Amino acid sequence: MQDRYPDPETFSTGILFESLGRKLELEPVTDTGGYNRMVVSPDISRPGLCLSGYTYKFMHDRIQIFGETEITLLKQLSPAERTAAVANVYSFSVVCAIVTKGLTPPDELVAAALESGSALFSSPQDTTPLIHDLTHYLGEVFAPHVSLHGTLVDIYGEGVLVMGRSAIGKSEAVLGLVERGHRLVADDLVRVRRAGNRLIGTGDALIGFHMEIRGIGFVSIAELFGVGATKEMQSVDLVVRLLDADLTDETDRSGLEENLMAVLGVDIPLVEIPVLPGRNITLLLEVAAMMNIQAKDTGCTSAERLNRKLIARMGRKRLRD
Amino acid sequence: MVELVVTVPNKLGIHARPAAMIVRAAVEFDSEIWLESPADKVNAKSIMGVMTLAASGGTSVTVSAAGDDETTAVEAVADVIKSGFGEEMI
Repeated sequence: MQDRYPDPETFSTGILFESLGRKLELEPVTDTGGYNRMVVSPDISRPGLCLSGYTYKFMHDRIQIFGETEITLLKQLSPAERTAAVANVYSFSVVCAIVTKGLTPPDELVAAALESGSALFSSPQDTTPLIHDLTHYLGEVFAPHVSLHGTLVDIYGEGVLVMGRSAIGKSEAVLGLVERGHRLVADDLVRVRRAGNRLIGTGDALIGFHMEIRGIGFVSIAELFGVGATKEMQSVDLVVRLLDADLTDETDRSGLEENLMAVLGVDIPLVEIPVLPGRNITLLLEVAAMMNIQAKDTGCTSAERLNRKLIARMGRKRLRD
Repeated sequence: MVELVVTVPNKLGIHARPAAMIVRAAVEFDSEIWLESPADKVNAKSIMGVMTLAASGGTSVTVSAAGDDETTAVEAVADVIKSGFGEEMI
């Protein structure tokens, strides 16, 4: 499935080539090997300074980009100087390197990459756009992430993460939402990663858009309801926790108190719904999502608006008395 | 049937948050519990009802209850009101 990023723990040069090679139009310059070298940093490096001899703080654990500057610099040197310049870079363990703009890498560079067994790619793309795409991709791969037990569904564009103990009825409630035209993102296991101050949720590639419904078994939502009933990725905008009714503390019935749940350091509004026989959880999830949308649009909740009206009415009454 | 008259001591009166506190105290009891202002009489276990009362600060309200635990019920609800809900007093 698209938009599922490789695990940073096992993110190697080979996986980078497989997943991004087509988009960046990468071609191996020659068979250097080094595909098992790990990409450990979301940043990239321009090795120009290192080539010219300033190796202090050279970021060898980043992907090296040889753009026009670097290649022109190398071409101006004599073969012996070129070998020395390239050696400045390849005396370190280089993750991999990309020569951009369709430039031909000098023989000394190819030889050094071969000798150190570090992958060397070329791309016809311009340097800045390539760096942009590469950094964006690496940023996504290395974003902080966590796997949560819950079900993520898109309700009117609002990403609602339904949580609660197993067998409390998360899947059934979300199945009801799908039947009403909302879209399933992930059932049972939601991978959440942080992008800036937003949380993005996806499912597991293997599980896909299957749901496990007790008594029926695995249900393929995409096959049963069509692709319109599924969504690859979705921001997480609201967490709804389903609670056993007897465990629910009846502290707040008015909805005036705003609860938050921190996920990867981002605070997400949290609504806790006691599950009681006869309650239509599907409907309540839909209402919770709509209220969250409204609260964001208007800057305050309906409870706050109602309360303001009430306080104003009491004020007028006191003036009359 | 037991009755107690209390004055709403906080500035804002019984708005949504105090109403929720009153209801939370009231639902603990089996008795029927009411709140009464000169204008209206409402079920103290209904948050909408209690809010509709629109009892502003300084208003007298009558708490009444009928049932097996009516005495403690009335006292408990009256105590919540007298506490001022942890808000600024008049």
